[in-house]
Amino acid sequence: MEIKNFTITKRDGTKDQFSLDKIMNAIAKAFESVQEPADLGVISKILAHLDIHNDITVEDIQNQVEESLMREGFYKVAKSFILYRQEHTEDRETLQKMQFLSEYMESVNAATGSKYDANANVEHKNIATLIGELPKSNFIRLNRRLLTDRIKKMYGKQLADEYIDMLTHHFIYKNDETSLANYCASITMYPWLINGTMEIGGNSTAPTNLKSFAGGFVNMVFMVSSMLSGACATPEFLMYMNYFIGKEWGLDYWKRADEQADLSLKKRTIDKVITDYFEQIVYTLNQPTGARNYQAVFWNIAYYDKYYFESIFGDFYFPDGSKPDWDGLSWLQKRFMKWFNNERTKTLLTFPVETMALLTDEDGNCKDKEWGEFTAEMYSEGHSFFTYMSANADSLSSCCRLRNEITDNGFSYTLGAGGVSTGSKSVLTINLNRCIQYAVNHKMPYLQYLADVIDLCHKVQLAYNENLKELQQHGMLPLFDAGYINISRQYLTIGINGLVEAAEFMGLKITPNDDYLHFVQGILGLIEKYNKQYRTKDVMFNCEMIPAENVGVKHAKWDREDGYFVPRDCYNSYFYVVEDDSLTILDKFKLHGAPYIEHLTGGSALHMNLEEHLSKEQYQKLLQVAAKEGCNYFTFNIPNTVCNECGHIDKRYLKECPVCKSKNIDYMTRIIGYLKRVSNFSQARQEEAARRFYATA
Amino acid sequence: MLKYVNTDIVFQEIPDEVTLAINISNCPCHCPGCHSQYLWGDVGLPLTISALDDFVTKYGDDITCFSFMGGDADPKGVNQLAQYIHEEYPQFKVAWYSGKTVIARTVNKADFDYIKIGPYIEHLGPLKSPTTNQRMYRKTDDGTFEDITERFWRK
Repeated sequence: MEIKNFTITKRDGTKDQFSLDKIMNAIAKAFESVQEPADLGVISKILAHLDIHNDITVEDIQNQVEESLMREGFYKVAKSFILYRQEHTEDRETLQKMQFLSEYMESVNAATGSKYDANANVEHKNIATLIGELPKSNFIRLNRRLLTDRIKKMYGKQLADEYIDMLTHHFIYKNDETSLANYCASITMYPWLINGTMEIGGNSTAPTNLKSFAGGFVNMVFMVSSMLSGACATPEFLMYMNYFIGKEWGLDYWKRADEQADLSLKKRTIDKVITDYFEQIVYTLNQPTGARNYQAVFWNIAYYDKYYFESIFGDFYFPDGSKPDWDGLSWLQKRFMKWFNNERTKTLLTFPVETMALLTDEDGNCKDKEWGEFTAEMYSEGHSFFTYMSANADSLSSCCRLRNEITDNGFSYTLGAGGVSTGSKSVLTINLNRCIQYAVNHKMPYLQYLADVIDLCHKVQLAYNENLKELQQHGMLPLFDAGYINISRQYLTIGINGLVEAAEFMGLKITPNDDYLHFVQGILGLIEKYNKQYRTKDVMFNCEMIPAENVGVKHAKWDREDGYFVPRDCYNSYFYVVEDDSLTILDKFKLHGAPYIEHLTGGSALHMNLEEHLSKEQYQKLLQVAAKEGCNYFTFNIPNTVCNECGHIDKRYLKECPVCKSKNIDYMTRIIGYLKRVSNFSQARQEEAARRFYATA
Repeated sequence: MLKYVNTDIVFQEIPDEVTLAINISNCPCHCPGCHSQYLWGDVGLPLTISALDDFVTKYGDDITCFSFMGGDADPKGVNQLAQYIHEEYPQFKVAWYSGKTVIARTVNKADFDYIKIGPYIEHLGPLKSPTTNQRMYRKTDDGTFEDITERFWRK
């Protein structure tokens, strides 16, 4: 080997002068460690095999040294050298972890400090959130290995390599790779009503009265949530509660709600006892949870109008043979909403995320007038919740964004209402902005290129599904076995991100216009074509526009670094540009109307950002507009003001605290589906929130 | 000839209505501290009855009310447009944001459902401010106008 003035590339990417002494020293030490004699002649022989070129990496040199040692027959020395390298690798990993640990401690909040899966649902950073953060990188490695091994078995090594290549080059993104559990589910509580929690590993028997319902429900939701990586929806919560209240005080309890219900000195009324149970359940479920890295459980509930309720629960029987009582439930739903809205002026409560399910008639009016009006009334009182409007009871949401088509509204005496058991097993997201730009830059028709990506995503999802089935076969998924979740009614979800940005790259205007609509339908229609093609009686696919809490920021950053056109720091989660103030509220409803969302089977919840609350009449009109445009899933978002000095919470969007006049204030907003303090969002998301245009209505 | 610069869908300007606000230019009021100085010049597109027809085609029943923002240089012109909307499209309410302290005698107030009067005086504040000099009136069922300014103060 000739000695020249080389530079080498160190592990952190920096360059250094090549030093022969360092290599000789390392080899000599390896010989020493196994008590083998090494003179200059032996070492020169080993060095002679090395092929050093400019900018060679340290790793590469060490690999060559290993091979060279073995070629010269110094097997024991080579082994020692390999072990030595391994020890140092482990040391470096620990060092990295320690560095992460200190950076995390210094960061402003938990979401900004999180390296892998920033999530604003974590209120505080502390030792518990840190413990959750540290193994995330290992989970990602493990999940990738599990998945690629399965892909290899099913489709061959080439596809597995392609998957990793697409993933590491950010054409696609695997959501929730830091968890082993399947994603989110809307569960039927019927198995719990019959058997308690024994079958899912708990020790409580079936609830028998209001008290055991309230206590048991909380435990059950905690248990279910610890076996899911995302949300847990209990669309029957209030219906079951109404059943147990009825058992306590009779079905007409709501007509006598102000009667005294207990003999304590407090002389609580029926209403007070009920709202005390609301308080117990809601406050407990908003606590940070040990099994979920100190996040609260993502608890979701649903409200129904009379017709929606009848479609889903028309055939429902409780185990004692009685049927749910609509009049009582209608009262209880309203009571809960009013109570929760009021409670939110005292404490920042994120959960439950609520969805109001309304049926509409042919003219786009709410079939159930009373509930249509009540929905508008609650919005006008400043309550924040989602509304799902449809001509038939075709969907339920399992989290604050994902709507799930329900395929079976039948009733079974072991599993309860078929419709409520739904959700998404796993989400794999396509970065449309990068894919489309890559195709166009390489002179390929973008839909043709996308078709390959979409096809790959479906195969990967099927591989995921096989892994899930294997877990189930080994008894690892009791939620499925006990019937809380039906595996074949759960979707495999294809997510999309960067749609608006890709359209901007194609020179399209992001307004309700035919060219943009054609672009949207072309892409979403293609995904749906594959969703149908890959569907079997055991597997179903849907497509959703992911909220991209942190993915939107990551994609923008990665794409910019790689020289792609990136018009903003966080990709949109809507069909319109959030900071565009030239679009009217009506335009936004149009852009989330039927023609745009037609193929978006997994949903996208329009977040209508407003600066001020509207009146009941105005909300009623907007509900009509939404129904007419076919915008089926939406919420109105008016930031609530929280005073950092005196703690006052105000439903209005204010610049100063109305009580203590302090300007040190924070806001509660729905950036991504659930209501949280803006200061809990990651740095990049906070910037997005600041840029977002709140229509000065 | 009335001209308008742009339009917007608004909610706070007229209570309980979903309103298409039409921002009319050539405003003669020139209030000190005006937030819409871009409306002082004689600029924009002609605000004719065919422009109104186009708005109706575009927004249909998504809106409930038309509001003329300004137009004090030609109050009769505003009146004619208001009359046209009520005759042709009786489903819509009509509102007028005037900067004058009184409505000219030549204007038939019955052609409006809401009328706001009063210039913007900085230290007294806009409609939202309880000290405002501006007034919002709504036509009642018997044709008289009631002062509903207080609705802008309530929260």
